[in-house]
Amino acid sequence: MTTGSIGHPSRGRDGRRQSASLALTAVVVLALGACGGKSSGSESGSGQSQALTLYTCVNDATIQPVIAAFEKAESGSHVDLFRAPTGELNARVAADARSGGLRADVVWGCDPLTVQAFVDQGLVGGWTPPDADAVPAEFRTDDYVGAHVLYMVAVHRTDVPAPRTWADLAGPGYTALAVPDPSVAASALGTLGYFAADPAYGVDFYRSLKDHGAVQVSTPDNVTTGVAQGVYDAGITTASSAYAAKDDGSPVDVVWPEPGAVAIYGPIALATHSADSGAAKAFISFVVSKEGQTVLGGAGSYPTLPGVGGPTVPAGAPVVSPDWAAIGADKASILADYQQVFGG
Amino acid sequence: MRPRGTPTVVRAGVPVPLALPVAVLLGVLVALPLLRLVQVLWQEGDLAGILGSPGLGTAIGHTVVLAVAVTVTAVPIGVALALALRRPDLPGRAFWRAAVLLPVVVPDFVLGYSWTQAYARAGFTDTLLGLHWDGLLGPVGVWLVLVVNAAPLAYLVVAVGLAARSEPDLERAARASGAGSTTVLVTITLRLVLPAVAAASVLVFVLTLGTFAIPQVLGTPAGFRTVTTRIYADLSIGGDPTSFLEAVSLALLLVLVAVVCVAPSDALLGPRLRSARPADAQGQQSVPGGRAARRGQAVGVGLYLLLTMAVPLAALALSSVTRALGVPPTPGNWTLDHFRQVLTVRTVEALGRSVGLAVVAASLLVLLGGLVAVGERRRAGRATATLITLTLVLPGSTLAVALLITYGRWLSGTLTLILLAYLAKLWAFAHRPIAGALDRLPPDELHAARASGAALLTAVRTVALRPLAPALLGAWLICFLTALHEVTMSSLLYGPGSETLAVVVLNSQELGRIGPTAALSVVLTVLVAAPALLLSPVVGRLRVPHDGPRAEVARVG
Repeated sequence: MTTGSIGHPSRGRDGRRQSASLALTAVVVLALGACGGKSSGSESGSGQSQALTLYTCVNDATIQPVIAAFEKAESGSHVDLFRAPTGELNARVAADARSGGLRADVVWGCDPLTVQAFVDQGLVGGWTPPDADAVPAEFRTDDYVGAHVLYMVAVHRTDVPAPRTWADLAGPGYTALAVPDPSVAASALGTLGYFAADPAYGVDFYRSLKDHGAVQVSTPDNVTTGVAQGVYDAGITTASSAYAAKDDGSPVDVVWPEPGAVAIYGPIALATHSADSGAAKAFISFVVSKEGQTVLGGAGSYPTLPGVGGPTVPAGAPVVSPDWAAIGADKASILADYQQVFGG
Repeated sequence: MRPRGTPTVVRAGVPVPLALPVAVLLGVLVALPLLRLVQVLWQEGDLAGILGSPGLGTAIGHTVVLAVAVTVTAVPIGVALALALRRPDLPGRAFWRAAVLLPVVVPDFVLGYSWTQAYARAGFTDTLLGLHWDGLLGPVGVWLVLVVNAAPLAYLVVAVGLAARSEPDLERAARASGAGSTTVLVTITLRLVLPAVAAASVLVFVLTLGTFAIPQVLGTPAGFRTVTTRIYADLSIGGDPTSFLEAVSLALLLVLVAVVCVAPSDALLGPRLRSARPADAQGQQSVPGGRAARRGQAVGVGLYLLLTMAVPLAALALSSVTRALGVPPTPGNWTLDHFRQVLTVRTVEALGRSVGLAVVAASLLVLLGGLVAVGERRRAGRATATLITLTLVLPGSTLAVALLITYGRWLSGTLTLILLAYLAKLWAFAHRPIAGALDRLPPDELHAARASGAALLTAVRTVALRPLAPALLGAWLICFLTALHEVTMSSLLYGPGSETLAVVVLNSQELGRIGPTAALSVVLTVLVAAPALLLSPVVGRLRVPHDGPRAEVARVG
């Protein structure tokens, strides 16, 4: 990047400028051109080239090895990556859609609600790889296929009892609990959706958690941080963040409570304008293939393909899946019921 | 047209050749992006539905009350710090002056975290003394940490205002004539620094309206919502057009609040605060106080810094070397792993990019801010001053969206777009400190220089810029530091080859990972502090006995 010759103002060096107009020319030149032309990555794939642009919220530790493995397997291919947390990713997609169209060929989201919303806007969907059938049916639709899973589990301090069921969290032994905010984190919304639809739990589950000292924090990562710090005794968070804290040595433990850890899958989808892009299709196929899933599992994310190794899953750990279609349709009313409890 | 008491030589304000580029940049950086947001909302939004959504009124109320509460607390603290640290006889002054700016180097959400680590349940004070503060996670905690975060900014603006505008001779004369120290403070010192106080107030108010990370970290657990946390929620959940449009309309609502509050202040109050004064460079030594007063001030400053900065930042520094959260930060648990994660080849590349970007942005911003400040002597100029605060109030995510919608077709993923975002976001940051110090411009000397044949720029450089140097340096510093660790906008705008430091380190770690983020904050602090320490003997040597303002430059920051 050219940094130009605008002087450091502090010691009068800017006085060396010959004239104000020169300085202002520099402003305009710098602002409009000096840094430009660095990027070729935002060009959308047209199907002609081997390059593709990927938008994702999958963490860096997972996405980099997967891309590297793909570029090695498909020689000549190149992936331009835009990785950001879901909020920024959504904002970028929304801005793209309003300024000439989505600039990604592949979108790999972190929850089905977001990707389904992109499908509804006609931005992605309409294609899944031929071997997507190997992925369990609850992790795919006709428009996208789950490439990784987040499991919502219980994290607790080692000096409090381990909960056996989710309902145990609302029992004695815990004086301060943390739950993630379902109006901020889709994983939390999926969890809420699951409990709301389960007659044994319902939104009342959250009410009894609140009565037992639960507070709502922003994201699952904030839950893990708070529990690890000791601000809270236990909380609901993602398995990956809870195990990461445990592996670091924080005094926490992880439980997959009955009736099950709530599975939140991250779908991968083809952009509708890239329907002819061989490279984009090849990338999606690779990610859900056994080879791609193995790389993903080795990089610390939970694969969707059965039989592929990944991070820790305790033997016999129960898993449940929310009804995403129902959550998508009832989002507002589920949130409204919940907000009767936690406000917001 | 001309405000009372404004010196004649500057009545023309910005010469036309300079006004034109300012107008163009105003269009490019502020007007067009805002208009594009309005247009999107107009074409697609259901404004009635959005404005009628439950909880919105509460969020707006929280936001405005918070902004007012933070402003009325942080600005007096900033003024008090600036007055205390102005005294040459204050013990340990150089150290305090640097220490007071430390929070600026630390990203907001890390600061919020460091407070929980220091004062919340199971935090430092709880472990050591059995004392913790439950109110930290709630509105009062949000307010307090925002005050601590904003006070250095207020301090900087007021300190550079004092450096440029104070009249120690006048103070001495008043004291010699029998005025008490309070009378001198109220009738002379504070009176002269009012424009800087006003500038600091506007900055703190607008910044608090648009602040996000601290309310998110500390407010959410108590159900305390602000407009910005709602915007974040809207962008984070669902990805559907309704949520996006709600985020856009909430952001524009913040802009509206900023207009309503800032425009009258700029239009009416601004010109009245200025005063015509002799402006030859004077000695900066303020009137020394008594020994008790000196000690009292040193203790006060020390105690404030201990509680608001030393304890939380020590907690932060310890987190950067402690292997995990929740284990005692004793040497047995120390590790450099977090630093290893932060300091990679990619990080160093991104660091170079970020430093370059921050230097270019800060330098351009000082120029742009200065131009707007000079132009403020005209009514149109004051409107410009108000307009550039509107992109400061926009949360980073929404401003980035606005720029992407406006220029994304051509500039998506480029450093140019990130630079434009920094310029738009921080223009007011650069402008207000300069505006607060500006009417030191010595009209007669400028006249004399011109009459003696000096070219306009020579006259401006030798006569006008010199007393303004502390303000220019202060503005540069604050913009540089803010741009260096900016995360929201760059993480939304980057593309291949334009990853900034924050994108590579913070974003790739997810924002929740405290250890690496704390390590990054430490690295940034060292990076910023090291050059300052290395340069300070050099700058110190530049001090000339009769050149007060320049001597002051060496000490600001």
